[in-house]
Amino acid sequence: MSEAIRELTYAEAIREALAIALEADERVILMGEDIGLYGGAFQVTGDLVERFGEDRVIDTPISELGGAGVAVGAALTGMRPVYEFQFSDFSMLAMEQIVNQAAKIRYMLGGAVNVPVVFRMPTGSGLGGAAQHSQSLEAWFAHVPGLKVVEPSTPHDVKGMLLSAIADPDPVILFEHKLLYKTKGPVPEGDYRVALDKAALRRAGRDLTIVATGIMTHRALEAASILAAEGVEAEIVDLRCLRPIDGEAIVASVKKTTRLLAVYEGVKTLGLGAEISALVAESEAFDYLDAPILRLGGAEAPIPYSPVLEKAAVPQVDDIVAAARGLAQGRV
Amino acid sequence: MASEVILPRVDMDMATGKMGRWFVAEGERVREGQLLFEIETDKAAMEVEAPASGVLRGVRARVGDVLPVGAVVGWIVGEDEAFDPDLQALAGELRALLGSSAALAERASTPSADARGRATPLARRLARERGLDLADVAGSGPNGRVQALDVTLYERPARAEPSSGAAQGARLNRLWLQKGEGAPLVFIHGFGADLNGWRPLLAHLPAPRPAFALDLPGHGGSPLAGDSSFAALVGAVRAALAGEGIRAAHLVGHSLGGAVAAALAAERMGGESGFRALSLMLIAPAGLGPEVNSAFLAGFLRARSEASLTPWMRLLAADPVSLGAALVKTTLRQREGGALVEAQTRLAESLFPDGVQAFGIRHWLADPATPTKIVVGAEDQIIPPRQSEGLSGLIAIHRFAGVGHMPHLEARREVARLVEELAKAGG
Amino acid sequence: MPDRAGAAHAPHAAHRPAVYFRLSSSDALDALRRMHRIRRFEEAAEESYVRGLSYGTMHLSIGQEATAVGVCMPLTDADAITSTHRGHGHCIAKGAELGPMFAEFLGKETGYCKGRGGSMHIADPARGNLGANGIVGGGLPIAVGAALSAKRRGEGAVAVAFFGDGANNEGAFHESLNIASIWKLPIVFVCENNQYAMSTAIARSTAVRDVADRASAYAMPGVIVDGNSFADVAEASFLAVARARAGDGPTLIEAKTYRTRGHSRSDRNRYRTREEIETWKQRDPIALLESEIVALGLAAQEEIAAIADEVRVEMAEAVDFAMKSPTPNPADVTRDVYSPRGD
Repeated sequence: MSEAIRELTYAEAIREALAIALEADERVILMGEDIGLYGGAFQVTGDLVERFGEDRVIDTPISELGGAGVAVGAALTGMRPVYEFQFSDFSMLAMEQIVNQAAKIRYMLGGAVNVPVVFRMPTGSGLGGAAQHSQSLEAWFAHVPGLKVVEPSTPHDVKGMLLSAIADPDPVILFEHKLLYKTKGPVPEGDYRVALDKAALRRAGRDLTIVATGIMTHRALEAASILAAEGVEAEIVDLRCLRPIDGEAIVASVKKTTRLLAVYEGVKTLGLGAEISALVAESEAFDYLDAPILRLGGAEAPIPYSPVLEKAAVPQVDDIVAAARGLAQGRV
Repeated sequence: MASEVILPRVDMDMATGKMGRWFVAEGERVREGQLLFEIETDKAAMEVEAPASGVLRGVRARVGDVLPVGAVVGWIVGEDEAFDPDLQALAGELRALLGSSAALAERASTPSADARGRATPLARRLARERGLDLADVAGSGPNGRVQALDVTLYERPARAEPSSGAAQGARLNRLWLQKGEGAPLVFIHGFGADLNGWRPLLAHLPAPRPAFALDLPGHGGSPLAGDSSFAALVGAVRAALAGEGIRAAHLVGHSLGGAVAAALAAERMGGESGFRALSLMLIAPAGLGPEVNSAFLAGFLRARSEASLTPWMRLLAADPVSLGAALVKTTLRQREGGALVEAQTRLAESLFPDGVQAFGIRHWLADPATPTKIVVGAEDQIIPPRQSEGLSGLIAIHRFAGVGHMPHLEARREVARLVEELAKAGG
Repeated sequence: MPDRAGAAHAPHAAHRPAVYFRLSSSDALDALRRMHRIRRFEEAAEESYVRGLSYGTMHLSIGQEATAVGVCMPLTDADAITSTHRGHGHCIAKGAELGPMFAEFLGKETGYCKGRGGSMHIADPARGNLGANGIVGGGLPIAVGAALSAKRRGEGAVAVAFFGDGANNEGAFHESLNIASIWKLPIVFVCENNQYAMSTAIARSTAVRDVADRASAYAMPGVIVDGNSFADVAEASFLAVARARAGDGPTLIEAKTYRTRGHSRSDRNRYRTREEIETWKQRDPIALLESEIVALGLAAQEEIAAIADEVRVEMAEAVDFAMKSPTPNPADVTRDVYSPRGD
C-alpha cells in the first residue's frame, strides 16, 4: 500500500479510465442515455462531453436495443464503443443485440471478425430503486459463451478493468454496483490494467473461504473483522471476474481452509454461488472439504421498495457472520 | 428370571438367519456355554451356545425358519421357575418396544453405525491416510457427522492392552468343528487363511476330540478393529478362548497362527483365570526368523482374479493339488467387498513390515514347559524351513520331504497322527 | 465497377431507364451474371436440401435477385451491408464467390464462416458483408453502427441494411431509423417487401399500406420501387447512396417484390394462391433484365446465353468444391468463441 497514491471514488475512477481511453485512442466512443449533457445518471461520465465533444460522448435516445446494436455495428467496423446502460435492468431490452449478436458474431463468422464493445451496467440494490431498477443479473450474462463479464469491487480495480475491457478484442460486460460509486480507494495515476480473468485475495485466513463479488466483498470484509474478534479467521476471495471464473484461486483457497461460503447479491437459486459450489465439488478441493458448501444470495423475490424489506432481500453483514461462524464451528 | 435365547448376528452383513438344528430339547437342562443350536450361513453352520444355565423352555423356532437377527427363539429359565410362554413373549415384546424407542432416541443423538455419508470428504481422506476405520471415530458434526478434527484427535486404543484384545476377542468368528471327549484341540490358522482350512486335517484325526477353531482378526468372519499388532492378535485369541470357557487345550497353530499359539502357550497363568496350553503343535510356524516370502504376501493381497491369485497360491504347497480346487475360488469370494483385503493389508504392514517377520517366538520356545512339536515342509517357499533349526532339543522337529508351507494339507494323515500323539502326550 | 461517367455505346431505345446512363454494357452484363449466380446458387441449395445433403433449413430468394443486385450496384468493398435470414442473394450480389458460399451451406471448414454460421449467418466481411442474421431486425442496428463508423472515418463509405417486410414492425427497425435520422448517418435502409412475413401477409401485420410510409415518421425520404426491375432498384440505390455519401442522411427504399418459393423449404404455401405465384413468376427479374439488355442493344442474345452457361459451370464447380471440402473437427467446437490472447 503506497501512501503516495491518491484516493478517488469508484465513479471518478471510471471517469478517469474513460478519459484515458478517449485520449489515447481515436476509435473509442461513449454511448448511453444522458451521459453527455447530464453527466450520467450516477455522474460517472461527468464532464467528459466537454472535454471530448459530442461526437465522442454521444447521448442516445431511449433506445436500448437500437443503441446497443449501433455499438455492436460500430465495433464490428473498427470502433471501440463503450455503451452505458443507465441501469442493468434496462439491458433486458437489448438482450437481442448483446446475446444473439455481440456474443455470437465472431463465432458464427468462423473467427473472421471480432466485436470489441464494452457494455457498462450499474447493478444491485440499496438505493430504493425497487424491483425494476435494482436487479443483479450477472449470472445471466456470465452464462453466455462469447461474452466476458467482470464486476470490480474497488476504485483501483474498476479503472484497471475498464481500461482492459476497452482494449479487449471481445465484448465485455462490466457491472458496477451502485452502492460503490461513492466509495473511495487508492487509484494509481495513468494507464494501468487489471486482468479480466483473475480473482483477488482480499484477506488471508485459515478457518474458511468466503468468495464474494461486488458490494458483498465489502460486507464480507466487515464480517471478517467481527469474526476475527471471535477467533475465526476468514479468507476472502474477491471473485471480480464472472466469466471466466478464476477457479484456480477458489480451489487453492478451499484446499487451505476446508470450508467455503459464497456470497453474492443475485438471486441465490441458479446464481453465481451455484457455479462456485459445483466448480469446487468437481475439483481436487473436494477431498479437502470439511463441511457442506454454503451460499448466501438474494431472496426468491423481486427487490422490494420498503427499506427494511430491501435489506432483507439480499445478504447483509450479519448474515455473513452467522453463516461463517456456523461453518467454522463445524455446526453446519 | 428367564434369559432370552436370541438368534444372534454372526456375520457382519447379516440381517436374517436360518435356524438349523437344536442340540438341546425343550425341557432339558443346559449349562451356560453349552452348544444350544445351529444357524445356517453361507459359510459353515454357526453353533450358538447357551447364554445361561437352566432349563430350556418356550422353544419357538424350528429348523429352516428364517428369522431376523435378534429374534427370540427360546428361553432359559431357572430350575424351579414357573414359565408361561405367552407372558414371556409379551414381556419380551414390551421390552423390545421400549428398547426400540430408546434405541431410536439414542440414534437421534449418536452416530449411526454406517460410516458412509456421515463423514466429510476431508475426514474420510484423513481416516484413509491414517488407516482408521471411520466406524470407530465418533463425529462431532451435525447428525453425528465425522469431521476432520474428530479424526485428527482420535487415538487408537493402546497396544497390547488386555482390554483391546478383549474387545477384539469378543467379535472373533469361532466354531466347534467337532465334538468329543476330553480336553479340546484349539486350531489357529495362518495369515490369509481361515478356520475352514483345518477341516481336511480333522477328517483324519483318529479319535473324536473336541475341536475348536476361530478366525483371527481380519480373517474369515472376524473383523479387524483397531490394533493390528501381534500382541493384539494374541490378546484377541486369548479373550476368545476365555469367552468360550476354554481353560486348557492342545494348541495347533499354522504359520502366523503357530506364532500366536506359541505366545499363548508361554503365558503360564493357569489357575482360575488365564489359559493353559496342554501341548503345542506348530505347523510351518512364523516368528522363528526374519525372512518371509514378501513377494508372496504382496501378490497374494493384490490379486483380484483367479488368474492373478492362482500363481501365488501354488507357492503354498509343493503339490498344489493337495490344496483343493476350491481354495482359490473361496479366497476370492471372501475378498469381495474389500474389507478382508484391507484388514489383511494392515496386518501385513504391521506384522511383516518391509518383507520381514517383525515378531519373534524363539525366546518363548527356549524352555518349553509343554510337549511341543514343530512340523515343517522341506520345500516351504513361504517361510524357509531352516528357521526351525537351532531350537531346544526338547522340541521335536518333523520335517516332511516333498511338502511345502501347508503340511496339514499336504501330509494330512501324517500330521493328524502327530496331532493325536501330541494330544496323548499332553494329557 | 459501374461506370458513372457515361452511357453504353448503343443505339437509343425508345425508353431508356435512367440507370443505364450510369452503367456501361459490361456493368449491365456483370449485374446479369450476378443475378444468374444467385439463381443457380439457390437452385443448387434447394437441390442439395431435397436430396438430404444439407442440414437445417433454407430461405431462398428466388425471384428477388434484382433487389439484391440492384441495391449493390453503387457499393464497393468499403461499404458495409447487413443482411437477413434470406441472405444468399445479398452475399453474392456483394461479390462473394460461390465455392466458399456453398461450402458454408454444407457446414464445411472451407465455408465463409468455417461451417460455424450456416445459411442464416453467411457473411463475407472482407467484402463488407457483415452477415446474414437469424433474428428478424437484428441487422438493422448493426448497419446503423457501421454507418456511424463510416461517418467517423470520413471517407465517404456508406452502410446498407437489408430487411424484409416482417422486420418493419420490430422495435429495432424503428429505433434504427430514428437514430440514423437524428445522427444523419450514411445509411440506406432497403426493405425487400415480398408481401409475406412467413405466412402473414403485410396487410395483416402492418398499420400502414406501404413500408415506405414509415419513412416520414423518421424524417427521411421513402422510395417505392419495382423490386423485380433491376433498373428501378439500381437507380433508386444510386440516388440513396449518393445522398448518404454526401452526408445528407438516410433513405428508406421499399422494393416491392415476391418470393416464388416458400418462406423456407418447410413452407406449405397455404397462405397464398397458386394464381398469385404464377402471376409473379411471369415477372421473373432475370428474364426481365435479359430482355431489357437485348432491347437496349447492350448485348446480344448469344452473350447472354453464354453468361447463363458460364454460371452453370461455375456453380457446378462450386458444388464440387464444397462437397470435397473437409468437415470441421469436433474437437474445435469452442474455437473462435473468443479472440486469441494478446490480440
